[in-house]
Amino acid sequence: MADKISVRIDGEYVAAQQGQTILEVARAGGKFIPTLCWLENLSPVGGCRLCIVEVSGVGRLLPACTTPAQDGMSVTTNSEKLTQYRRMALEFLFSERNHQCAVCVSNNHCELQSMAQRLGVTNVRYPYSFPKMRVDASHERYVLDHNRCILCTRCVRVCAEVEGARVWDVSGRGIHSLIVSDMNRPWGDSKTCTSCGKCVEVCPTGALAEKGFGVEEMVKRDRKVRRLAGRRGGHV
Amino acid sequence: MATTAALNALSLDEQSFADRMIAAYAGTPGALLSILERIQEHHPHKYLPPEVLEYVGDRMDIPLAQIYGVVTFYALFNLEPQGEHTICICRGTACHTRGSRNLLQRLRLELGLPEESEEGADKLCVTTPDGQYSLRTVACFGQCALAPVVEVDHAIFGHVNEQALRREVEHLAGRKA
Repeated sequence: MADKISVRIDGEYVAAQQGQTILEVARAGGKFIPTLCWLENLSPVGGCRLCIVEVSGVGRLLPACTTPAQDGMSVTTNSEKLTQYRRMALEFLFSERNHQCAVCVSNNHCELQSMAQRLGVTNVRYPYSFPKMRVDASHERYVLDHNRCILCTRCVRVCAEVEGARVWDVSGRGIHSLIVSDMNRPWGDSKTCTSCGKCVEVCPTGALAEKGFGVEEMVKRDRKVRRLAGRRGGHV
Repeated sequence: MATTAALNALSLDEQSFADRMIAAYAGTPGALLSILERIQEHHPHKYLPPEVLEYVGDRMDIPLAQIYGVVTFYALFNLEPQGEHTICICRGTACHTRGSRNLLQRLRLELGLPEESEEGADKLCVTTPDGQYSLRTVACFGQCALAPVVEVDHAIFGHVNEQALRREVEHLAGRKA
């Protein structure tokens, strides 16, 4: 039996179990913390920096998805400062690649887009970098469009942890990071890919999409994948 | 399937060397880095061909994507054959202010290498078509008092100007002949 602890979230006392993350506790208590790279039942990475929270007594902001809740912790999930940083994180994502919503298959069904709307990002203060990005349409059923990728690594994790095929990973470093399948060969030539489509369903943007869909037509269904992931015996 | 393809492409010597390295580092944390480093050092052209990566991934049960990710993350790993001689020019702040960009451009001209590309601004590694010289840049050698610093085949030269650099390169060419 796990130890019971008590955490204060936005002033309210919430009962939690030792080992739960701040995000899990907050969600169980009905609090909303914005997330992008986090997906229920997948291992958390803390990459997108949207779930940052203030913990009293800690000088820096901590990602809620990877920080374990501790007894007596006092967490603020929403403040002027947090909103400012979360918007900034989103604006960096927008300026890093070519996110043209109007011509994207995932328009209106995009987690990046809806998160920006929810957090009130009306404009991007940083210059767009307009990188030249490839589109990999070699797979018979799916497309990988690096222009829309936010490097959340959900596809990497779902493939390794749920499907077990371990097709994806991140190559390169910093601004040159790219999602690659196998040895950076075309996705269609991958010997490990099972074409299960889990990566496509969990992709928060239009970076991974099914072929044959036009603008606004790609609706992701990650519920089944999340449920499947929940049936595993704990995180890898 | 991957195994047979890798087996066909690798020589017996390469295979046994890779196997020995995998056995030597088995169980140590970060074994993949050490193994790949040793294998690259062992290769006559100081690089990691795809067949080798496939072989190592297969033997160690590491996904190819992960190996590729590691190899592209660390600048010390080469995916292209390296030249006989390596000339490494420091592009740190101190060396930049003492004219390391000029050295780089001069060397590019003399070796007949293409002009700087858009993305290659921070990390550069090009080899001449004849496989004689590899030209690299490095963020800092930590020898800023000697700026500008150039490393030629693991020997570090300080206060390098264009004449000195040309002399060193000519010296390399002379040694070869």
